[in-house]
Amino acid sequence: MRHLQQDALDRWLAAERDGRDGEAEAALLEMFEALPLAAPAAGFADRVLVRAGLQTAAVPADLFAWRPLRIVLGLALAAAGFGVLWLPPLLHFLMGLWSVGGAVQGGIRVVTDASQWLATALRIWDFWVTIVHALAQPLAVPQVMAVLVLSLLASSLAFRFLRDQITGERNWTYVDPS
Amino acid sequence: MKTDTELAASAAQGSQDAFRELVKRFERPVYSLVLRMVQDPATAEDLAQEVFVKAFRALRTYDPRWKLSSWLFKIAHNTTIDHLRRGTPETVPLEGGEDEEGRGGLAAVLADESVEDPRAAAERRDLARSLERAIRQLRPDYREAVLMFYVHGASYQEICEATGQPLGTVKTNLHRARKELAQTMTGLGWGPGETGGAAAS
Repeated sequence: MRHLQQDALDRWLAAERDGRDGEAEAALLEMFEALPLAAPAAGFADRVLVRAGLQTAAVPADLFAWRPLRIVLGLALAAAGFGVLWLPPLLHFLMGLWSVGGAVQGGIRVVTDASQWLATALRIWDFWVTIVHALAQPLAVPQVMAVLVLSLLASSLAFRFLRDQITGERNWTYVDPS
Repeated sequence: MKTDTELAASAAQGSQDAFRELVKRFERPVYSLVLRMVQDPATAEDLAQEVFVKAFRALRTYDPRWKLSSWLFKIAHNTTIDHLRRGTPETVPLEGGEDEEGRGGLAAVLADESVEDPRAAAERRDLARSLERAIRQLRPDYREAVLMFYVHGASYQEICEATGQPLGTVKTNLHRARKELAQTMTGLGWGPGETGGAAAS
């Protein structure tokens, strides 16, 4: 038994072969009209509403089945496992503080280490300040500053114009090499 | 039942139910159009969602003189092109794969064996595969015009509005696309007096 689409297909191809454009178009329309459209997975409208911020995503009844929670728990466990590596030196340090002498010694060590870190940070900061200062010196000249501002303005206008040109022209030619 | 324009007006005023109804009414046309342009169900789902979210945000600017479907097709057209511009996507061919059978490919919708004998169902499936292949072989602008005109019933004018192409170009594209489709289908063994689908199966 021949089905409706097959009949329409035959009429379409016969009309195309004989150059009867009107009939070909009508038969092709008829063939496609008989076809149901593809559908997205169930719950599409709900997902759109969630994405549009009109509805909150439903949290599954089983909390551990909720993917974000599983990710957070996994990361927490990994962090805890990683932290175990520092546990022996930390315990050793804390046990050293048990006596008065040990506490003083520990305090001095903390202050010394902190000072060294601070000194390193200040050296890096100083290095960056020197660079920025050297770069900023020419900007103190008004003419240089004016040229810079004009260049920035011109380039941002050009960039915006280019972007508008590209995004405004939505043509398949620029998308698919075929 | 509310008209499309009434639904759009209610949704623009913040009615969640109206927007949900609007999405349900147009999810199939928008999704199936995007699906056949990007060839990947997951990407099509994501882009179709994006189309409706953009539509929701722009509902206040919707001009009721346009058909709502044309307006949505225009957003779908722009969204799909913007997505494809961001880079060459990894696609999963629809033909013959699980996606075609399971998620709305023509073969899936034509292969309902419960309503006819297995031989007819197999023929329908072959025809669907051939059609899917022929549509996929079209240039993207031809493919889009064919899908809008023949599958979604859009008029020439609506296609012009959605794609931003002149009327002459749309008509020429449709004419050439139809010829190419016919050529491909004939090449696949379909036509008057043929059993059809030898190449497809």
